[in-house]
Amino acid sequence: MTTATRSKPKTLATETTLHDVLIIGAGFAGLGAAIQLKQAGISDIVILERGTAVGGTWRDNQYPGAACDIPSNLYSYSFAPNPDWSRAYSGSREILGYIHHLVAEYQLEELIRFGQNVTSMAFDETAGLWRIETSHGERHAARAVVMAPGPLSNASLPKMEGIEQFKGHKIHSAMWDHSYDFAGKRVAVIGTGASGVQIIPELVKVADKVTVFQRTPGWVLPRIDFAPNAQMKSLFRRLPLTQKALREAMFWIHEAMATGIVWNTPVTKVIERIGQWHLKSQVKDRWLRRQLTPDFTIGCKRVLMSNDYFRALQAPNAKLITWPIATLSAEGVRTVEGIEHQVDCIVFATGFDVNKTGTPFPITGLDGRRLSEEWSRGGQAYKSINVSGYPNLFITFGPNSGPGHNSALVYMESQINYLVQGISALLRGGHKSLDVKPAVQASYNASIQKRLSKTNWNTGCKSWYLTADGFNATMYPGFATQFAQQMKTFDLADYRAG
Amino acid sequence: MKALNPKELPAHSEAEIHAKLEKMLVKIKATQWALADIDWDAPGREVVTEDAVLYPKLKAFMADLMWIEHVGARGFAAMAKVAPTDTLKEIYQYFHAEEQRHANAEMALMKRWGMLDGDTLPEPNINIRLVVEWLDRYADEQPLEVLGSVIPMLEIVLDGSLCKFLLETVHDPVCHEAFGHINNDESRHLGVDFMVLELLGFGSTYQNAIKAVGNVLNPKLMIGILSYAPLLNKMRDNLMALGLPEERLNVALRKYRTIGGRTAQGRRNAWFQIISRHGALVANRAYSAYHRPVDGLVWLTSKLPAQWLPKPPSWVNELTWKPAA
Repeated sequence: MTTATRSKPKTLATETTLHDVLIIGAGFAGLGAAIQLKQAGISDIVILERGTAVGGTWRDNQYPGAACDIPSNLYSYSFAPNPDWSRAYSGSREILGYIHHLVAEYQLEELIRFGQNVTSMAFDETAGLWRIETSHGERHAARAVVMAPGPLSNASLPKMEGIEQFKGHKIHSAMWDHSYDFAGKRVAVIGTGASGVQIIPELVKVADKVTVFQRTPGWVLPRIDFAPNAQMKSLFRRLPLTQKALREAMFWIHEAMATGIVWNTPVTKVIERIGQWHLKSQVKDRWLRRQLTPDFTIGCKRVLMSNDYFRALQAPNAKLITWPIATLSAEGVRTVEGIEHQVDCIVFATGFDVNKTGTPFPITGLDGRRLSEEWSRGGQAYKSINVSGYPNLFITFGPNSGPGHNSALVYMESQINYLVQGISALLRGGHKSLDVKPAVQASYNASIQKRLSKTNWNTGCKSWYLTADGFNATMYPGFATQFAQQMKTFDLADYRAG
Repeated sequence: MKALNPKELPAHSEAEIHAKLEKMLVKIKATQWALADIDWDAPGREVVTEDAVLYPKLKAFMADLMWIEHVGARGFAAMAKVAPTDTLKEIYQYFHAEEQRHANAEMALMKRWGMLDGDTLPEPNINIRLVVEWLDRYADEQPLEVLGSVIPMLEIVLDGSLCKFLLETVHDPVCHEAFGHINNDESRHLGVDFMVLELLGFGSTYQNAIKAVGNVLNPKLMIGILSYAPLLNKMRDNLMALGLPEERLNVALRKYRTIGGRTAQGRRNAWFQIISRHGALVANRAYSAYHRPVDGLVWLTSKLPAQWLPKPPSWVNELTWKPAA
């Protein structure tokens, strides 16, 4: 297995390099797109990666306990099954290992330029090219661009009052400080979302004291985790169809969950009952149970999966605080009940800066239009992947492509399938540009928003799925099967060919 | 023709009240304080500890006050569950914590004055225990109308009579500093309480009355009333024993009636009408038809063996006099 890591770009080019396809980001989506494009016979590809290693979210999220809350057999590409997963729900190191394996297996390393942070891109209508600039001053031009920056790729310390005053150590879950020794330390964890529930049980094992600050309790469901034995792995290796069948079974179980997670139905109540039972079976104290009971419909926010979070909170060295935080201070966290919780280290499990409005860098389309302006109140695209006025641009995990109940990689594969068709049509159809028609995009979004209004995400809770105005530019209101169906065919009639 | 109340205020629209609540939340967040802001070892404790007459009465009073604040805190936690808007929910979450802060600060004063047995909590009286038990089991299920009308009455009594009386009686500067903070919080609480009283009066008198009758008939609320009424009587008598003039209570209750009833919506809130009349009954011992049976309940509850009561809920253990954890 290669490490696919380089500290610096090989050269600093001063002249523009031209490619058929330029991919931004060497995470799961960017690498998956490169694999499928290569398999479709498109080989002039370059991948620009701002970091020094592949892996995106899984490279960055290496905190203790980091794992995927979708089973690994489903959270992997169907075209690259891994018979050797060590657990049903693998940890982030193993997932990152899988990504490195993809790079080696499909010989992607030669395509990747590390340390290349894209600073702007603009469409040159005359030439039918995207012109891309990076912070190193490199200039690239490409017939098509695949933007695969990842929805969960940017994290920063939250803007909390007093954060600058705190004298102790500060760690963000997505930028873990592996050199910090938690043994004997008093640790505060701020945030009890997907990262928090994974970190807390691990910290409780090593730290002297763990104080957990919760704003809103989430729904926590049990995770049926197990370690596949040698016979199972051997069976998957000898008869790949068995692993495929397991993946299919997992897919349909997750699809079935949509009937309760995505929409409010009697199934929702059943899943909530499972959550309540899980809480009651692990937490005997009535008040603690009340503190941990969500007051929103399951699915409205990300559903959490953990078998050990509740137990960890009840460990003798752990304490759950639900008082609002008044301010951070030099010594720790002051909460509104007037007490200063003094700690040596604060772990911010406060999530990511999800780009629901604007763009990560300036993107200029036809006639000088700026995507950041058009998306200032929430992104809109056609089938989540193309934006009218920005020809030959394909966005993975674009607006309204997020799953709430199934594997992100299933959605990703559908998008990759679509963009391979689109790029093939562009390069082989003799077109200079393919730009989705405005009316087609508008009609698609009207339908998406209408469908979203009937989902659990739009039932009133505050979540990172929504913009400050309550606009849902993040989630896809349907089954993964529906999403795959809509992405199955690239219909040229929906596009203006230039 | 009926004379107009000179203090009658023009009715606010619901939108105006919600806008005011938004502003209030911003103000609440901007005016936080912590126990660590107060020097609990500053000079002046001897004015309390060396007053042999005041000391035992004050010790009993502070324990009651602390428990009442704590019980009020739990009331706000229940109200946060049923708040009709996110803003009001967040305000109540803050008030829950702020009332807890008051109880913590009062416990810190008790610690300063040597009124605590080590680190242990002052023992709650049996009536407090019963109210704690009721709050723990049933408060979260109560409609906002009930607690949203009772809590302003309790707060106005606390703010308008008890705390003022305490500051007149106790001349320890640290006590004054702590209650300066507490009173500032309480004035914001009262501001919100009365906005909510008004909010609860929207709708017709008939509808409000029907809703109130429905609530009163709820057996869980009846149990609450049976726990709450003797506690008030006992508290009232303890206060009189400490030297609080009865008129002080009446002034505070009149204030509740005046402010709560200054708009037509406020007066339409059936629970406001019930609570204000009930407050007047509690304050005046001359209403024997009320006081005899309630005193009977006080007597009866005092005979309840403590071991019959379940273990206090764990939220009680959150109380602390320590500024840092």
